Amino acid sequence: MTTSRDIPNFKVSHAWQNTIFSLLAMLGLFFLTSFFMNNGVSSSIVSNSFFEFSFDKFSLFLASIFCVSLFIGLYPVREDNDVTKAFLFYILGGLGIILSNNLLTFFVFWSFQRSLPAFRFIRGIRNDSTSGGGTYLIQHFITFICLIALVALASFNGFASVSFSQIPADFFTWPVLILAFIIIYESHGIFPFHSWIHDMVGNLNWYKISSIFLARAGVLLFVKFLLPTIDQHPDFFKITLLSLSIFSSVYWSIRGIFETNVAKTTTYFYVAQSSLILTGLLSDMTATRGAYLQIMVISLSGTSLWSLMSYVQRHTSIKRLNQFYGLAQSYPKLATLFCLFGFSMIGTPLGAAFVVEDLVINGLLDQHPFLGLGHILATCLNGILFFLVFSKLFLGHTSYPQKIKDLDMSLSQMIPYVLVLFLMFVIGIMPSLFLENIKW
Amino acid sequence: MEFLFLCLMLIPFVWICFLGLSFFIRFNLSEFFLSEGSKWISVIMSALSLSLSVLVIMNRSQPLHFDYPSWIQVGDYEFKSRFIVDLLGSTYALLTSLLIGIIFRFSRNYLHKEEGYFRFIFLLSTLMLGLMIVSFARSLDLIFVGWELVGTTSVLLIGYFYRQVQPVRHSIKAVISYRFCDMGILAAGAWAHHYMHTTDFTVLHELLSDPHLHESGHGGSIALTFIGVFVIWGALAKSGQLPFSSWLPAAMEGPTPSSAIFYGALSVHLGPFLLLRFYDYFHHFPILLWIIGIIGATTAIYASAVGRTRSDAKTMLAYATISQVGVIWVEIALGFTQFALFHLLAHASMRTWQFLRSASLIQDFVENPVVLQHQKVQRSTSFEKYVPKALRKRIFIHALHGFHLDYINLKIINFLSWPLRSYFEFEKKWLGLNNTIVKFIFKKR
Repeated sequence: MTTSRDIPNFKVSHAWQNTIFSLLAMLGLFFLTSFFMNNGVSSSIVSNSFFEFSFDKFSLFLASIFCVSLFIGLYPVREDNDVTKAFLFYILGGLGIILSNNLLTFFVFWSFQRSLPAFRFIRGIRNDSTSGGGTYLIQHFITFICLIALVALASFNGFASVSFSQIPADFFTWPVLILAFIIIYESHGIFPFHSWIHDMVGNLNWYKISSIFLARAGVLLFVKFLLPTIDQHPDFFKITLLSLSIFSSVYWSIRGIFETNVAKTTTYFYVAQSSLILTGLLSDMTATRGAYLQIMVISLSGTSLWSLMSYVQRHTSIKRLNQFYGLAQSYPKLATLFCLFGFSMIGTPLGAAFVVEDLVINGLLDQHPFLGLGHILATCLNGILFFLVFSKLFLGHTSYPQKIKDLDMSLSQMIPYVLVLFLMFVIGIMPSLFLENIKW
Repeated sequence: MEFLFLCLMLIPFVWICFLGLSFFIRFNLSEFFLSEGSKWISVIMSALSLSLSVLVIMNRSQPLHFDYPSWIQVGDYEFKSRFIVDLLGSTYALLTSLLIGIIFRFSRNYLHKEEGYFRFIFLLSTLMLGLMIVSFARSLDLIFVGWELVGTTSVLLIGYFYRQVQPVRHSIKAVISYRFCDMGILAAGAWAHHYMHTTDFTVLHELLSDPHLHESGHGGSIALTFIGVFVIWGALAKSGQLPFSSWLPAAMEGPTPSSAIFYGALSVHLGPFLLLRFYDYFHHFPILLWIIGIIGATTAIYASAVGRTRSDAKTMLAYATISQVGVIWVEIALGFTQFALFHLLAHASMRTWQFLRSASLIQDFVENPVVLQHQKVQRSTSFEKYVPKALRKRIFIHALHGFHLDYINLKIINFLSWPLRSYFEFEKKWLGLNNTIVKFIFKKR
């Protein structure tokens, strides 16, 4: 039974956690300032003979979103003992992937970041025979091998330490394309390489939450490695990628509808939404803009949704969605925020995701009228899935205490969420403010 | 006239922004302020829409076109903010303003001291904005914006009494029907973009009248027919037509004023409104008119039969509404568009009155002797005369079960999702196998 005393406040007792959150805030501010100061054309490159980092507008955009979304996503678990020094390595790994500008750098940071949860899983398996994580380890090991093979191929051709933009189109032979496809789709949790997501979402420890952010690595590799030469790749390859990405969204939505575990259902909704990023990127320029906006929506709105969910789950014993919990009576403001974030993600007009849906659907249908219908089905299912989660958690009869004011969020706790929500609706109402700033 | 139009669009928008902001800054608005505010909003909106309708009539019913800067613009793609003020749109806007005004006034007493009064006013104001957008939209894209707003508010109002499980279950049912049919509008808009390079229905009608249409790079007749099919599909759920009829009687769980405005008057008639908007388009494809007619007629018979087996007033009214809307669909299919519009207006007004009165129906029967005096002795109908008793009994039993519509829908969904559900089972085993392998490798020796 939860009481008002159990509700966490802003004070964080551990020095490491203070450091991490301050660092995230500072990094976010730094990247955001750099993004607005960058005129969109120039990109400064820091490199030696092996490693290369790019501070172009796209990387700065993603880096700032990465920091802000982590800040919001981890806010409810800031007192968790799992937020330890290892988390600094995770941030470092994430930023390394985002700013990497050649395959070698990407490989090093990708392996570094993925190994952190892997060690946790191995430790868990050794200590507890019922602990999961097998699929994560196997799939990531296979992807690691694929990545080594890709780097080896690139190295053989002399492109391992060359900037992504300087890799010629003739390097992308079928073996390279297949390896890239496996790495990108596995990293992004897209069908048929999606099963590791199930392993990551049983509980809400930070390294499991981080799996959702890890998924973005696939998009990054796609944008930097494949997108510049996408027009020259075989049509069969492009259509396969596109179909799988759309199917993946449908798959995750239906999986979520049939799932009863709260954390899993929310994650499936989140992953279903993020599958649409690749759909947009694979379509045309109009849809690509939509996909960039979707990255922002997913990172901020989706993370907020996830964060609110973890806030609820940490203060209640709810694990399964097999009944109505009526939490809106205990958390009226939190329920409203959850509802608005959800609506802003499923494409309700005046929310940012509506702009995304409009751009992606029209861009996609311009290229592939029939695949576009699949995307529309995915959008429809996502909406149903969100409403199911919302209604099961927050509506109906409650067995929880009626001390409404004690249990709900305070105004100060709501501030980060309200700001994100405001941003989502401003973008939804005046999309040009944002769309004109994401040219690169 | 443009000023009047802009006011009609902006007033509800500013009002809902104000209400939303007051919620987040925790500024509690009193019930008196909310009811007075909504009263004045509806009075102003009614006056504005009445003026607009009069001006349209004075303009010899010639439609006026208002173009504003694009809402979304990326490269060649534009989401154009184009509106049309014509007789159909201004009439629907007038109906909206008047009926919502009545509902605001009615709910002042009906929902007095209700905890969710603020929520009710906020959602009803959002509905007003959504309906204004639908009424004056000149493209499918814009219609979709208003359409979604209406759907969202409708679902949230069905679950208004959110502490009870049943209203919430029914709101989920409504969401599933709505989302499934919204796909139709989205698909119609996107295909129109792809094949006709526009979603502006005035331009679509002109293009279809062009005999050289297919030579000018537009889609073939099958693709164009499918745009119409998608529009019809989009209109099905909102107007409760088959096979999406069962959610509407269930939606009566919401407060009576919202049932009246959504399922007696405005939301339920959006389907016929959309069909009337696209009538010129359907006119080029007789098969589409056949589809509309068949769906309308079947639904009218179905709802009429099922409605007669129901015992509570609101459910009977819900089925009666579905049945009448089915008849309006048939009228549209037969080409009686003006008659259909008149039927729509009259039906919406009468149903609003009936729904609002339904709450005090028992009191009417008990306390009002006039009602009892007017009770007629039921005479046998021609249905009873000519249909054998055994068949009548069978029809009655099936009607009592709603012709098993929910069961059939569920079977279809189960059938369609069967491959994925089988895969889920396989995946479970696959995950278990992976865990076993990894545990074998990493186990402490």
